[in-house]
Amino acid sequence: MTPGGDVWIGIGAALAIWVVASALRRDIPGPIAVVRWFAQSWLGRTLALCAWAGAGWHLFCQRP
Amino acid sequence: MALVAAGAAFSWWEGGLHQYSSAAHWSIAAVIALVLSAAVAFGWGRQAATAGAWVRGPLPVRRHLAERRRASVAVVIWIVLALAVVGWDLNSFVHQSHDLPTLSSIVGHVTSSRAGRAGTVAVWLVVGAALGLGWRRRR
Repeated sequence: MTPGGDVWIGIGAALAIWVVASALRRDIPGPIAVVRWFAQSWLGRTLALCAWAGAGWHLFCQRP
Repeated sequence: MALVAAGAAFSWWEGGLHQYSSAAHWSIAAVIALVLSAAVAFGWGRQAATAGAWVRGPLPVRRHLAERRRASVAVVIWIVLALAVVGWDLNSFVHQSHDLPTLSSIVGHVTSSRAGRAGTVAVWLVVGAALGLGWRRRR
């Protein structure tokens, strides 16, 4: 495992803990609430869709 | 149900393609165009908030903090986690070192197999459908 990989594991673990916490407690907004917040207006929805499109193109058409 | 089956079939077909093939390029471009078109066609006049109200929304932070302290702290933690992902990915990208893998190179290990690529495409389709079509006001 590389040092950078260790950091990714730490970030991933923190994200997982936080997602689980948001699922267990109703007063903590979860990932769906975050996506829903972006979808409230055309500006937020457009930003999120641009990020989604860019990620798809990069992952499925560019990344070696 | 037919849409779910079509999405699953597309994901499996796409999973068998190489990222440099023309079929992968036009199919992903077609999905992006379809989702963007559907977002406009089905969402015109049905947004919950205007762009101006959405931009101004997070600004009254002090009142929001006083009323819903726990939810506000939770939002700050989400922002910190998102910044950690973006920041570390940028740092790894800039250094271009084997010891610092980028997020896309890690995802690339998953998408190197047909099942992994198909599953990733399926998740990407679900997120795109939710962003394009979800959470609209009723007409």
